[in-house]
Amino acid sequence: MSSISIRDVRKTYSKSAAPAVDRLNIEIPKSDFLCLLGPSGCGKTTTLRMIAGLEHPTEGKIVVGDRTVVSVDEGIYVPAEDRDMGLVFQNYALWPHMTVAENVEFGLKLRKVPKPERDRIINDTLEKLAIARYRDRLPSQLSGGQQQRVALARMLALKPDVILLDEPLSNLDAKLRLEMRAELKRIHAEMGATIVFVTHDQWEAMTLATTIAVMSEGELQQLGTPDDIYERPANRFVAEFVGNLPINIVELQDNSTNPLSAWVHGMLADIRLTATAGSVGIRPEHVRLVPVEASPRPATVIDIVPTGGSWIVELSADGEKFFAITPEPPGVAPGEQVGLSVPHESLHIFDAAGSRIEAVIQQTTGGKS
Amino acid sequence: MQGLGRSLYHLRVRNQDPTTLIGIVLVVLFGYLIAAPIFLLVTDAFVVQFADQGRAGQPMGELTWYYVERVFFSRISMDVFWRPLMHTALISVSAIAIALTVGVPLGWLMSRTDLPAKKWFSTALIVPYMLPSWTFALAWLTLFKNRTTGGSASWMESLGVTPPDWLAYGFLPITLILALHYTPFVILLFGNALRQFDSSLEDAARSIGAKRGTIARKIILPLMLPSLVSASTLIFAKCLGDFGVAYILGVPVGFDVLATSLFRAISTSQTGMSALLALTIVILGSVSIFIDMYLLRQARRFVVIGSKGSMNRTTALRGWRLPAFGFAMSIFLISAFIPLMALLLTTVMKVPGVFALSNFTLDYWIGTDVGTTALKQGILLTPEFWEVTWNTLWIVGSAALGAGFLGLLVGYVVARTEAKSVATFLRQVTFLPYLVPGIAFAAAYLSMFAMPRGPLPALYGTPIILVLAILADQMPFASRAGISGMMQLGRDPEDAARSVGAGFIRRLTSVVVPIQKGALVSGVMLPFISGIKGLSLVVVLAVPGTEVLTTYALRLVDYGYSQASNAVVLMICVIAFGGTMLVQRLTKSNLSDGLGNK
Repeated sequence: MSSISIRDVRKTYSKSAAPAVDRLNIEIPKSDFLCLLGPSGCGKTTTLRMIAGLEHPTEGKIVVGDRTVVSVDEGIYVPAEDRDMGLVFQNYALWPHMTVAENVEFGLKLRKVPKPERDRIINDTLEKLAIARYRDRLPSQLSGGQQQRVALARMLALKPDVILLDEPLSNLDAKLRLEMRAELKRIHAEMGATIVFVTHDQWEAMTLATTIAVMSEGELQQLGTPDDIYERPANRFVAEFVGNLPINIVELQDNSTNPLSAWVHGMLADIRLTATAGSVGIRPEHVRLVPVEASPRPATVIDIVPTGGSWIVELSADGEKFFAITPEPPGVAPGEQVGLSVPHESLHIFDAAGSRIEAVIQQTTGGKS
Repeated sequence: MQGLGRSLYHLRVRNQDPTTLIGIVLVVLFGYLIAAPIFLLVTDAFVVQFADQGRAGQPMGELTWYYVERVFFSRISMDVFWRPLMHTALISVSAIAIALTVGVPLGWLMSRTDLPAKKWFSTALIVPYMLPSWTFALAWLTLFKNRTTGGSASWMESLGVTPPDWLAYGFLPITLILALHYTPFVILLFGNALRQFDSSLEDAARSIGAKRGTIARKIILPLMLPSLVSASTLIFAKCLGDFGVAYILGVPVGFDVLATSLFRAISTSQTGMSALLALTIVILGSVSIFIDMYLLRQARRFVVIGSKGSMNRTTALRGWRLPAFGFAMSIFLISAFIPLMALLLTTVMKVPGVFALSNFTLDYWIGTDVGTTALKQGILLTPEFWEVTWNTLWIVGSAALGAGFLGLLVGYVVARTEAKSVATFLRQVTFLPYLVPGIAFAAAYLSMFAMPRGPLPALYGTPIILVLAILADQMPFASRAGISGMMQLGRDPEDAARSVGAGFIRRLTSVVVPIQKGALVSGVMLPFISGIKGLSLVVVLAVPGTEVLTTYALRLVDYGYSQASNAVVLMICVIAFGGTMLVQRLTKSNLSDGLGNK
């Protein structure tokens, strides 16, 4: 099994355009399940393709295990076909003229695996992915989920040390997605391969990855465990990108005429900050609805959306939209006034440039402020 | 040290796959086979030729306006240029109008309705395109010619009616024949576009209350426009260069089009003038193509390529089924069946058009004593015929195979290379022969290969010049099929092959070529069929040792052996038709797959 080291990688497609990937440094330990997460155009697929060898970096170096696969300064470039990595494409890229078995066999043939051995591997792999009975079908005769399994089988048959997945679940429906997710986890546990996974779906990233790399505009925003990313977002971009319901952001203004801003300023008074706060993020699940009398911050309930097991409460505080999510029926109705309360420790505080500020809470006064 | 590393890196990146290298090889190859001959043609038009030193008053090889004056502004320019130009324009415009009028309803019937025998029609209606256009000119003569050209009587004459000249020759028959011959373009391109049209667009319009007529006019027609424009341009360019039909039906009554005027200039060895005439045709063709491209670009802004949910709804014709069937059938009868039957029957009749049992004979096919001076035996017993057939098959076959594979390579390079200038040049240079009518291209090949050029010895008189000329002449179709195929393919299947360890050659042979089978088949078959029936290119380049079926047939026409020539023409039809059917069956792909702007 191999670690992957991405060092100072930069990729520009044309001299004038902004780089697709810039100053990228990621160390992926052996057997890690890393997810490259970000909105479309953030450079995550380019990064994956550079690891695979399908794109070549303009600057930098990538080392897989103890083998440098690309290094601009040292003049090293290993073509994709010699990198021995398993790659699964978003649209599966099955070869339409080959049957399921032939798709799986192709790579084995190239590796000169003898025929009986090939047949055994094909059978095992197809069996494991529960597609053995489709072995003689053409890809066009399979459903999307089945094609996806063939794409996985084609890759797994070669037992790669490194597996690269480019949004492999995005073309599947919700149920299949759950199934494939479990399948990927199982494969990871069984094979112990190092997996790099590209997605724009934060739920996928959260549930699958051991490490997440959040990217935006070609740059790495944060590298950490799913919990890190969620609980301690490194900057506003990460905080806003990760989370099912978007995080509530309150811009802080100096003249505290804005009541929402004034409320948050009030809470910050209890907290010692290492820098000046520019904005504060509050996750909807950390917002508690309290009686109006118990809170200095009243808001109007606009709508209540039951989502099965939890309730999204859409609020308006002085014209600003604000979301809360409650594990129980909120017990209020649209049009009513409620008070808001947030525990100090769940505030995400950012400076004017959007970077996270570490906070030290001086008094534990709970939700009161 | 770092600089060295970087250069090494870039070298390695570039060498990882030889696409650009192949591109450069192709650039050189087509520069030599296409650009250089055409360049020579251009220079011939503006440089004093050996024979004209006296009249131009300048020594050989000097720059001159002499040919420009002679073609456009002299006493003979009305005859050599202006009137032929007018005729050509009239013919093409009328042919396009007729082809659209006939082809659009047929394209719709074939792709979106429950027309009876649709599958059969999908082959039957394309037959005229599979056969040489001048076949129909010969058939026309067989049916309608009069004493103006002499020879054996036409069927109409045998019936006691003398066809007037306007019916027998000139504008009317030429236009009709070209129109019917090229109607399949409209059927194929328009039908394909309709087939790919996403019915949900119609549904969306219907859901907001649009009536059928409104939908057809406001939704379908605008989206179909590119295919119609494309078909029209193809037809215009073809009419511009079509030599055979006008030669057979126009020349006897002095009705000249640009192509025949050019042929006369070539056959009288007026190199400079023929170069200029050819150049004029090339420019006219180019202008129309560029107009077409501009219009297409305008239209493309709206084009929605069939999405995943693209499906094709069949309209029930109900009470119109029979009339529609009758319409399609009558077009088949007029454009294919009747002409071919006429040709066939003349070869088994002693006196044309007389339907008495005693008048029928198989002598012209397998007889041993036909009673003529030269061709004493039936055509199937003539060794020369078989030699010529073999010549045709291998010359055209290798040219078509070459064109098909080179077309795929061009498509590959155009779709893949990062060297945009190589891609652009290849796209344009392989398209160039499309603008050059066969005769002009042949003239260009003569001036290029009549003497040793570069590594090649003089090729005139060898079959190689024919192979190269046909190959180059067919590159537009082949590379078009290759480019559109590769563009559709995308990178993923190949990237997937790289990821399991397939090198360049392996990817090409195991992934690209098999997936592109359809495009490759069209890329070989279109050139093959077109080459088999091609006349204008070979009529200039073939010599007695390297004769092919078309030139052989024309020679038989000249000798007055019309039965024998009709028999040869029928054989060409059989080979072209049989070849098409065979390959379609073998590969389960369709002739129309690689044609058009898919």
